[in-house]
Amino acid sequence: MPTALVIDDSRAMRLILRRIVTQLGFEVHEAGNGREALELLETLDPMPQVALIDWNMPEMNGLEFVTAVRSQERFRRMTLMMVTTESEHGQIVRALAAGAHEYVIKPFTPEAIAEKLALLGLVPSGTMS
Amino acid sequence: MALTQQEFAFVSGLVRREAAIVLEPGKEYLVEARLLPLARRIGTVTVSEFVARAQRERTLADQIVDALTTNETSWLRDREPFTAFTDVVLPDLMERRTPTQKLRIWSAACSSGQEPYGLAMMLEENLKNSMQYEILATDISSEMLERAKKGRYSQLEVNRGLPVPMLVKYFQRAGTEWQASDALRRNVSFQKVNLAGNLPAVPPFDVVFLRNVLIYFDLETKRSVLRRIRSLMRPDGWLFLGAAETTIGIDDGYERVVAGRASAYRPRAATTAPIGATRKG
Amino acid sequence: MTTPTIDDLQAITEQVWLSYLDPEGITPFLPSEESPGMPCVLATVSVTGAWDGHVVMTFSQKASRLSASALLGMEEEEVSIDDIADAVGELVNVIGGNVKSLLPDGSLLSLPHVATIDEGVNKWPAAVEVCRLQGSWQNEPIAITVLTSKSSG
Repeated sequence: MPTALVIDDSRAMRLILRRIVTQLGFEVHEAGNGREALELLETLDPMPQVALIDWNMPEMNGLEFVTAVRSQERFRRMTLMMVTTESEHGQIVRALAAGAHEYVIKPFTPEAIAEKLALLGLVPSGTMS
Repeated sequence: MALTQQEFAFVSGLVRREAAIVLEPGKEYLVEARLLPLARRIGTVTVSEFVARAQRERTLADQIVDALTTNETSWLRDREPFTAFTDVVLPDLMERRTPTQKLRIWSAACSSGQEPYGLAMMLEENLKNSMQYEILATDISSEMLERAKKGRYSQLEVNRGLPVPMLVKYFQRAGTEWQASDALRRNVSFQKVNLAGNLPAVPPFDVVFLRNVLIYFDLETKRSVLRRIRSLMRPDGWLFLGAAETTIGIDDGYERVVAGRASAYRPRAATTAPIGATRKG
Repeated sequence: MTTPTIDDLQAITEQVWLSYLDPEGITPFLPSEESPGMPCVLATVSVTGAWDGHVVMTFSQKASRLSASALLGMEEEEVSIDDIADAVGELVNVIGGNVKSLLPDGSLLSLPHVATIDEGVNKWPAAVEVCRLQGSWQNEPIAITVLTSKSSG
């Protein structure tokens, strides 16, 4: 079963994302911020196929997490998808420049997550319609 | 609160006449969910009251047709036809056409515009030798065409299957919304067309996207739509239908061909005889 | 700079409802003159930096419970006070984040804060109201207010 890592400081948002991603066939791990997520990654084998990453979080934010992950060769195959209310054009460009692959703006519908994962080739297209 | 049989019959008869869309009994919940916001907008309390008024007021009847013929659309949700478009169809056309021939693409049920602008993005990204293109985007709903023409999308809409590199390249923020750039809009024109009625008199198309429309038509209408669209296609043109749709058993004038991981349909003459040979008579 | 308007608030609210509280589009948030009284549940985020102010959501107690139930996919009776806090906190966070995107670059969003008020005052004495959207959802009042700490004149 493919695995996904959901990184968000809001328990409500983790729950929403867990429900959607589980339905798409992923096993889900959760972390409350970037630092927790890096620690969790040390213990996960195999590595998650995808991380869904909030931007504004305490301790280590999503952008810092993306930068940290991109600096390490061993995480090269993990797809990084921002899921955040940060929606200024410039912010999105910043996240892409740091190494994020995709971007979902909050609020989102379940279809939005499913379709982005399909664009990334992580779920077959038309999984949720 | 629930719609009576008579009210549902009025609504299904209306959308059948106006848009050739078949609403089976059992879809009452869909009608109620789509019409409730309309009812509230004009201050009627129930959908039943709204339907009663729509039987006397033409503009309300039009709103019903609009509300029931449109869906929230995704940009590139079914990747296969779009991948086939960039990987198979465009290379084929770039080979067959001279650089001065403008490629003509028809998005035949463009809804709020995601398909024609999505195609424009792919053409901007993939066309070589400064080849030109034009996209005709048509829809049955005036309200949808107005929206599509503006090229403004909500945050929820840009979340739907639009790759983020395309979002940042071809859209700018405008308040709470996103505005499609001039680069996308300059080659797209819009026109109101009822596919079940008269088709526009225009030069033939190289590619037609007619996705998820046929499913709403009965067999005779399907046949007539497919035949008349074929007469607006270049002999070596390409037609893309929705995944659940086909020309097989409906119109023999098309041949199904495999294009990447998608199916496409081409006028039969193009594949059974040398190009141009059978169309001269 | 853009100052958020009631139309912006309405667009943002509609999207939040369609995403999390009313995915079928059959129980929309309906603007009206109605406004939550006491007791109420308050959820706020602050914006600091290039722009200073607050985004405040006020719910009737029942509205906050309904919100948590819809957002978390739980039965209304199962919803705990923590669930309500997490749910309305996330709602104000998403709405506040979208309001922030209309404000000048360099504005920062705080973590959400949630409180219940049984009686007494609910005021931002030094703040100026920028815009306010109020109405009801499933016949329960909810209000969303954007306040700024500095007059924008």
